Amino acid sequence: MRWLFSLLLLALLGAVQALSYTGGRLLVVLEEQSEREKYSVFLEDLAARGFHTTVDSPKSDKLSLFRHGERAYDHVILLPGKSKGLGPALTATQFLDFMKKEGNVLVALSSDHATPTAVQSLLLELDIHVPSDKGALVVDHFNYDSNSAAEKHDVLLLPYPKPLRPDVKNYFAGEGFIAVPRAIGQTLGNESPLIEPILRAPCTAYSYNPKDEADAVEDPFATGEQLSIVSSMQAHNSARLTVLGAAEMLQNGWFAEKATLNGKAIKTANRDFAQKLTAWTFKETGVLKIGKLFHYLDEGVSKKLNTSLAIPENNPKIYRVKQDVAFQVEISEYQGDHLAPYFPAPGDSVQLEFSMLSPFHRLNLTPISQTANSTIFGVSFKTPDQHGIFNFRINYRRPFLTNVDEKRQVTVRHFAHDEWPRSWQISGAWVWIGGIWVTVVGWVAFVAVWLYSAPTEKSVKKTQ
Amino acid sequence: MRLLHSLIPSILLSGACIVSAASSWSFEDGTVTVQSKGAGVGAGAKEKLNPSSPLAKSVSLGAADTLKLQLTTVDGKKSQRPHQAFLTLTDSATGLEESFVLSVKESGKGKVDLTHKDLPHQFLTSAKPIAASIVIGSFGSSTPYKAKVFDLNVARDPNVPLAVPEKPLRYAVDKEIHHIFRADPRSSPKIITLVFAAAVIGALPVLFGVWATLGANANHLGKALGSAPISHALFYGSILAMEGIFFLYYTSWNLFQTLPAAAVVGFVAFLSGSRALSEVQERRLAGLR
Repeated sequence: MRWLFSLLLLALLGAVQALSYTGGRLLVVLEEQSEREKYSVFLEDLAARGFHTTVDSPKSDKLSLFRHGERAYDHVILLPGKSKGLGPALTATQFLDFMKKEGNVLVALSSDHATPTAVQSLLLELDIHVPSDKGALVVDHFNYDSNSAAEKHDVLLLPYPKPLRPDVKNYFAGEGFIAVPRAIGQTLGNESPLIEPILRAPCTAYSYNPKDEADAVEDPFATGEQLSIVSSMQAHNSARLTVLGAAEMLQNGWFAEKATLNGKAIKTANRDFAQKLTAWTFKETGVLKIGKLFHYLDEGVSKKLNTSLAIPENNPKIYRVKQDVAFQVEISEYQGDHLAPYFPAPGDSVQLEFSMLSPFHRLNLTPISQTANSTIFGVSFKTPDQHGIFNFRINYRRPFLTNVDEKRQVTVRHFAHDEWPRSWQISGAWVWIGGIWVTVVGWVAFVAVWLYSAPTEKSVKKTQ
Repeated sequence: MRLLHSLIPSILLSGACIVSAASSWSFEDGTVTVQSKGAGVGAGAKEKLNPSSPLAKSVSLGAADTLKLQLTTVDGKKSQRPHQAFLTLTDSATGLEESFVLSVKESGKGKVDLTHKDLPHQFLTSAKPIAASIVIGSFGSSTPYKAKVFDLNVARDPNVPLAVPEKPLRYAVDKEIHHIFRADPRSSPKIITLVFAAAVIGALPVLFGVWATLGANANHLGKALGSAPISHALFYGSILAMEGIFFLYYTSWNLFQTLPAAAVVGFVAFLSGSRALSEVQERRLAGLR
């Protein structure tokens, strides 16, 4: 019993130390244990950030991504090896199942080694394409390191990636140049919104196979910025997969190497980029957490939104049509080791949908206040003039951010019979109201005349 | 033999490196021709390309035309075959790029043909001219060459529909939706309402006037109250009270408050009414009505 307790304590301690939002159990798949030395700085950096690293060979019998049907690791790094197969424990289906259980995968490729078939079919499944022939690599005659690749031009020196779009946060920004030695370029399918390039090749780069006999490139795999050197896929459940075209980028030899780009001496910043890349892949950055969702009737006493989060989430279940409703949501972003207030990139905003089947309202939320570790976004609106079952829905999906999809259901009822304006408030009804009063007065007068009228001479004559 | 083949250029190249490390790639005798369909070979405008400055006039490519680009790549002064010889089209608005590989012969003579079919649909629908640059580069130390040589103006027949694929989904901020409420019910202008309301209310004095000319009066009130005071007061009072109940029902009461009150008043009217109406009958039989 005691050992169980201490184990639990240890596990808890591990969870506390881990920087990743989802856990710190990391599996590094490395075929040649002798190559471990090459990645030592990278692995030490990961351990220093709180990851519990297990280095195992794909040939090992014990190796499995799952234990008792659950994930045995939170993250996997797949480093290239000599053999073309990865064995029965690491098939494409296993990786996909691992991601279905919200595990994150970093796949490092290398043009020195053949891409394993399991990885090829995994990437094909995700609509990421790599050249099928072994040895294909990216060259650029404009941005190469003239120290190490003066002749072959296959060590690219690239600046840090720019934001994907102006309205997308850049989690990979930095100063300096990244050395990309002998990378396998990838092309990304256009259909899926889940795959995004992280680091693109420069516009003059192209992918070719040095084993081709032709001394001029005739049919390159892809050219220019359509070649992606590091690409990413974030599934609907926010499981992340990063494809790194050059595993050599993670090796000690390139972490802070002197290089020359067009005659200018520079120092490679691969260590920093590797840190950023693993931080994103293993959910240390770009993780959103939704806090409380509030909505309440804006009674018009004060139009100021209630920004206090001290009260628990105790929302009304029913509203009437055409009522003023205030909505608030608390969103935090995980930054390394703590939750911080989240602010969308300029040009982007969190949106609230008030929907029954389709949205009736879709409104941009504005940050109205912030706490120590969250931003409170809010908006006020009028419920539509349609009764039914509605949802307050925050469906916030952006590249490089975990998906947020929260909803709260409410009933919107129509006007009760005593909530309509009274007839005298409607000017068009005045004629009818007048008619009723005329009838009332006329009736009362008629009864009086009928009961108490004395006969006149004329009428007496007439009755006779 | 293969080894020799691959060795010779590299030896040559490394030799070139040593001799002239600062040599750079460029091209000579560059021409661009737009050939219309059906026109003979050599027809169409031929423009000479300058490696150092782009053409002043943009090259227009029609739907049935073929753009032919020919050049000779040179490394320094010598014509050479580079590893990379691309014609790169760049859409300045979107940043979209597409490279077309020039097929270069051993002598450095290279050419590429371009028609509408080769271009992605974004270029076909681009409003601005597309920048066309030539990229020449190869292994070794020679400086690679990249410069814009001309602007490509894609002329498209607007009557021919273009199959533009639907824009794929990308996660970004969506357009705001504000519910459009149905218009509030409106009343007719107040002046019209007031005129008709006045006409309706005006009917009451007219009615009373007509009754008066016919000789209506309340002269027997004293007589009635004299012979059956309680029943007449109660009967007429209950009729007034019923109107009062209706008024209260209209303004504030609900049905459950109205019904018992109406029952009580109705019962009073029934009892007192039979007495009061008997008195009225007596007066009629006495010829006083």
